[in-house]
Amino acid sequence: MRTHVAALLLGATVFASGAAGMATGAGDTGRLALPTYSQAYTPTTVDERGVWMEADEDERRLRESPSVIRDPALNAYVRGVLCRTVGDDRCRSVRIYIERVPAFNASMAPNGTMIVWSGLLLRVRNEAELGAILGHEFGHFELRHSVLGFRNRRSGTDLMAWASILIRNSGDIQYAAIGQIYAFDRAQEREADMIGFRYLARSCYPGSAAADVWDHIMGESDATALGRRGRAQHKYVAGFFASHPTELARATYLRAASLGIAEAKSVVVDTHQAAMAAWLPIFLNDQIKLNDFGGSEYILANLAAGSGWTTPLLYARGELYRERGNPRDLVSAAQFYQEAIGRGDAPVEAYRGLGLALLRNQQAAEGQAALATYLRLKPAAPDAALIATLVSQ
Amino acid sequence: MVKPFRTLLAALCLSLLAAAPAFAQEKTGAKPGFVLKPGTARVVLMRPSILVGAQSTGGMFEPNADWTDQAKENLAAALAAAQTGLGNSVVAYAEPVGADSARVAEYQELFDAVASSVIEYQFFAGNRLPTKKRKDQFEWGLGREVGALPGLANADYALFITTEDHFGSTGRKVLQLFAAMANVGVTAGVHKGFAGLVDLRTGDLVWLNADMQMGGDVCDPAGAGKRVRQLFEGFPGKPVEAPVSGTPAAVR
Amino acid sequence: MSITYRTGLSALAVFALAAPAMAGNTLIPPGLRVAVAKSAMTVVPSIEWNKLGARPGRNSESWTQDGDDLNDLTFYGGIEAGRPLFREVDKKNQPLPKVSATMLITDIPVLLENSYRVALGAASFKVDLVEPLPFAGNKGVRFTYSFSKQNETLQRRGEARGAVIAGKLYLITYEAPGLYYYDRSAAAFRAVAESVRL
Repeated sequence: MRTHVAALLLGATVFASGAAGMATGAGDTGRLALPTYSQAYTPTTVDERGVWMEADEDERRLRESPSVIRDPALNAYVRGVLCRTVGDDRCRSVRIYIERVPAFNASMAPNGTMIVWSGLLLRVRNEAELGAILGHEFGHFELRHSVLGFRNRRSGTDLMAWASILIRNSGDIQYAAIGQIYAFDRAQEREADMIGFRYLARSCYPGSAAADVWDHIMGESDATALGRRGRAQHKYVAGFFASHPTELARATYLRAASLGIAEAKSVVVDTHQAAMAAWLPIFLNDQIKLNDFGGSEYILANLAAGSGWTTPLLYARGELYRERGNPRDLVSAAQFYQEAIGRGDAPVEAYRGLGLALLRNQQAAEGQAALATYLRLKPAAPDAALIATLVSQ
Repeated sequence: MVKPFRTLLAALCLSLLAAAPAFAQEKTGAKPGFVLKPGTARVVLMRPSILVGAQSTGGMFEPNADWTDQAKENLAAALAAAQTGLGNSVVAYAEPVGADSARVAEYQELFDAVASSVIEYQFFAGNRLPTKKRKDQFEWGLGREVGALPGLANADYALFITTEDHFGSTGRKVLQLFAAMANVGVTAGVHKGFAGLVDLRTGDLVWLNADMQMGGDVCDPAGAGKRVRQLFEGFPGKPVEAPVSGTPAAVR
Repeated sequence: MSITYRTGLSALAVFALAAPAMAGNTLIPPGLRVAVAKSAMTVVPSIEWNKLGARPGRNSESWTQDGDDLNDLTFYGGIEAGRPLFREVDKKNQPLPKVSATMLITDIPVLLENSYRVALGAASFKVDLVEPLPFAGNKGVRFTYSFSKQNETLQRRGEARGAVIAGKLYLITYEAPGLYYYDRSAAAFRAVAESVRL
């Protein structure tokens, strides 16, 4: 139980210092000063040059990587949001790589490489939310966090190695050392959160977007846990192994910060949905194949809250329910496909999904009729021969 | 079957097992009958993957750019000196740009995968594949088409080199002493490397040397010479003998 | 949101993992019918293969010519409803999809695809061609696919044949890098797959 207490204490400390920081930080927009930006920073110390070298090697790999999305339109959109968030001067030095990885993450290396995962683009609902995350990552870069993080992590692992050998029952010390590493990371994350928030406050985007993102991430992780018959697990204090402040803490201090500034910004025309239109069905498909029913359902509902239940969202929901495949899911799936088809702009595959859902639900005649429609509309489909065997049985 | 953590596990096993001499491991293999005739071969050195750093007490890798740059210089110079002494020519590969560069990257990864398989399934006696146990057998390759990579038309062999060095910090070495007393195997430093020669006419891997416990400080010229000798241990025709070790000044 | 520290993580992992026990690999001679994957499934190989001592899961086994990273032939011998295709690395946070007794043959490629996507943590998996093909006298499916591992440029290709028989999944997969290795053993894989009996 000692570790548990330690975790509570650590979490509490971080949270308290966070609140204190906020009290002084919340002023009006004019006083949300940014550090002076220095361009083309050159690494000086041994540790820095080493970290730079690794980042350069990683970038070499990225340039050949088949998982990087090269679509110029999507890349221009993401760069545009970053530039509008942090300003043209800061944004100029950044190389952005969008990787097709279906998880919520972005990162920035000290050499100016920014990696944005497709799962992040899927989860944000507008330019401001995307800007909040990109600004946070840029904040790590501007504050040169990765080198500091590296030094801290080194002393942490040193301690653990000693403990594991010198002390027979060293579990507690190992835990304490790990806890220190992650507590340090949490402090860095908070710093990046706050500088990210300052970019946002000075940009054309509403400052409340940062808190919105963390609200949704909390909602999604609860939904994932519930979908796996676990307990909802968003925490009020950072868990012992958490490298980041809890999403609740972040949503709270970022919300407080956004309320602390008087915003009188004209509403910008949001191009997020238009920029994502071609990629949304692909990113949704990547998400649905992750065997995370609760989380996927939450993402769909969250997107629908912004755009309404559009055809791609309905089709994706049909696929999600059909793949889980409980009898009641198959009924729901058929309804979603039918609704999508009713819109008139559904992909032909909606008939395929409808047919397979009905077949699995033992509605053979209706199922075969839908599959026959699919084959009639797309005779050269890659799975046409296989589907034909289901129609004729 | 997909095993995403296979490489990590294999690396861990190797580093853990290195302390236990019971799992003896071979280091060199060559295609039976292969000889590199002096004065005839045109060898292209593919972009070597060289990484040098320190290993902290906890075993975490600290990359060191200065050491890595030095090591790259030293290895290339030592290699050129050694082969020129034999009358063979060694030229660095001119990397293509655009679509072809991805293909080169794929072949580099294929070489790494093949080298890892040789280590795991032929050199490692305890895990050797039955079809790889036969006497005088060494059948591995990248396929004939590797010779069709841009810029290799006039070359006879491609040489691939991967080395990774984590020098043990003082803390790590002291830890090792205590660990030995506690009967726990901890290695100080990671010094592994493999070098492989691919016949560009046949695509066969004609020679591979892999060492997970190498010596020689690649950061100074004499040490780099030692490392080159080790990387080329068992090289048919023993090309890397005299020229390297005694003449660090000439390498510069 | 963070920069990932691969080196840091692997350093931590050293303390959590012990070396797995050495498992012996055995020779599979050509021309003889052998039972595979601890099941009633039998096949006749046309050339010799190596059977790996390490199994991907309870009712499965892998064969190879040059190592499982270069060519991998895996048999899944009747995976029961409610079980994943192969051993789960992180059951709690990354559960794999499970076999269902009501699976249609169209669901077999989907199960493999989704299992790989979860295990690889990447969206690089693509099913290329799907067609009906009898499997051991049952209604079955043949499909081809391609993927790459996270942080790798090397493209890998695969071909699989399978069927759901009496509520259990039977599947044979073959995978290799697209450069050189895939074509090299594809015919030998097909000979094995075509000889399957239950």
